Amino acid sequence: MNYLDIILYKTWADLRSEASRAYIGFLWWFIEPVLYMGAFYLLFGLGLRMGGDNFVHFLLCGLVPWKWFSSSVSSGSRSIAANTGLINQVYLPKYILPTIVVLTNLAKFLVILPVLVVVLLVGGEDISVHWFALILLILLQFFLIWSLACFTSAIVPFVPDLKYLIENGLLLLMFLSGVFFDINRLDGDIAVALSYNPVALLIQAYRDVLLANQWPSVSTLVYVGGFSIVPAALSWWLFSRLDKKFVKVI
Amino acid sequence: MSVALKLDDIGVFYRRRASLFNREKHWAIRHVSFEVRSGETLGVIGRNGAGKSTLLKILAGILAPDEGTVIREVATASLLTINLGFLPNLSGVDNAILSGMLMGLSKSMIREKLPQIIEFSELGDAINDPFKTYSAGMKARLGFGVAFAADPDIILIDEVLGVGDREFRLKSTRAMKEKITSDKTVVVVSHNEPLSRETCDRLVWIEDWMVVATGDVDPILADYARPRSER
Repeated sequence: MNYLDIILYKTWADLRSEASRAYIGFLWWFIEPVLYMGAFYLLFGLGLRMGGDNFVHFLLCGLVPWKWFSSSVSSGSRSIAANTGLINQVYLPKYILPTIVVLTNLAKFLVILPVLVVVLLVGGEDISVHWFALILLILLQFFLIWSLACFTSAIVPFVPDLKYLIENGLLLLMFLSGVFFDINRLDGDIAVALSYNPVALLIQAYRDVLLANQWPSVSTLVYVGGFSIVPAALSWWLFSRLDKKFVKVI
Repeated sequence: MSVALKLDDIGVFYRRRASLFNREKHWAIRHVSFEVRSGETLGVIGRNGAGKSTLLKILAGILAPDEGTVIREVATASLLTINLGFLPNLSGVDNAILSGMLMGLSKSMIREKLPQIIEFSELGDAINDPFKTYSAGMKARLGFGVAFAADPDIILIDEVLGVGDREFRLKSTRAMKEKITSDKTVVVVSHNEPLSRETCDRLVWIEDWMVVATGDVDPILADYARPRSER
């Protein structure tokens, strides 16, 4: 059977279903992030005037990838536990559930990304050939998100308590990922610790590309890719062992 | 008759929480062996909590047993489920495609069967309206239409699916009986003795997580009807 077809159709169906829940439908995918970015612009750009325009751009380049990361991992981790009805009625390889969630979130990110680009260009940033590196960053981040979503989704049904840890862990991770500050400005042990955080490195890379017109560092790309292989391999191992055991616990 | 599916010494346990860090094993079924023959209608009877649902999940390939082996000679065995994976905001057509795919049909196969599904469900143009606007009867009809179109090698039926209005109930029961009496392989799990008597070729009786008896319908139903103390 072709599971790719199911994954794609279900992703499309979920997106469409979500869009048709509100009056203005999928426009919310634009409006919601614009409001979200607008709130930070008001707070930091106009209100606190911290670091001027550049800080707003700095912040947005961190927030947009972060939001993609956190909402994907958070809903991905619940994806198997949330589909009790489905998996108790029909056999589906369980990896397709987090995969669908990750793909719907990718689609929403791809709607937000052009908004970010426009905001940056209007705000005076210069476009350059380096921006092509975004494709690579997005692919890498997708791989990181997908492997973490699969891994957590496989564990949550067996250890439901983990759900609460993941939410709080994501909040903590946001502060450790340099969304609000430049990790290069830190020194000492904390700087060393943060340099092992793949999300912090990715956000740094987005800023290098979008704000500094530089190529992302090769070591970052290799590290993030290598880091993602660990949860991906663990997920593969868990799913091959547990695929037909999930219905016992949910 | 050739064997379509065979269970050999199957056991499934669940872990029940005894205290905070202590979970004890609790067998839902154990040492269960029987075969499903091609073309027959096999009834599974047993009281609530006897392990019938667990057994169905094993047959459907949703759950892997903790003990024993399942031998499959056919490609697909699936539960007859209605409205599987339906999303309320999508149209009837989109839901039919989605649900059909989840049941194992390819997208092109389900598209081919769409006219048949629409006809069975008597929805007409309403098939393009959002599913949430349907009445309970319309929902059930569409669900059945898709479920019957899925057509696996072995159909697994859990209890009697009595939904919709009277006329449709008759129609769906008729369609179900057609399937059951045809040379389709069917496993029906039921409490309903008249239905078992009428439709099943053989019975498997499960009680206290074990097979009590397998074989002809009438003698087993006679035993089953007797109170426990008199057996």
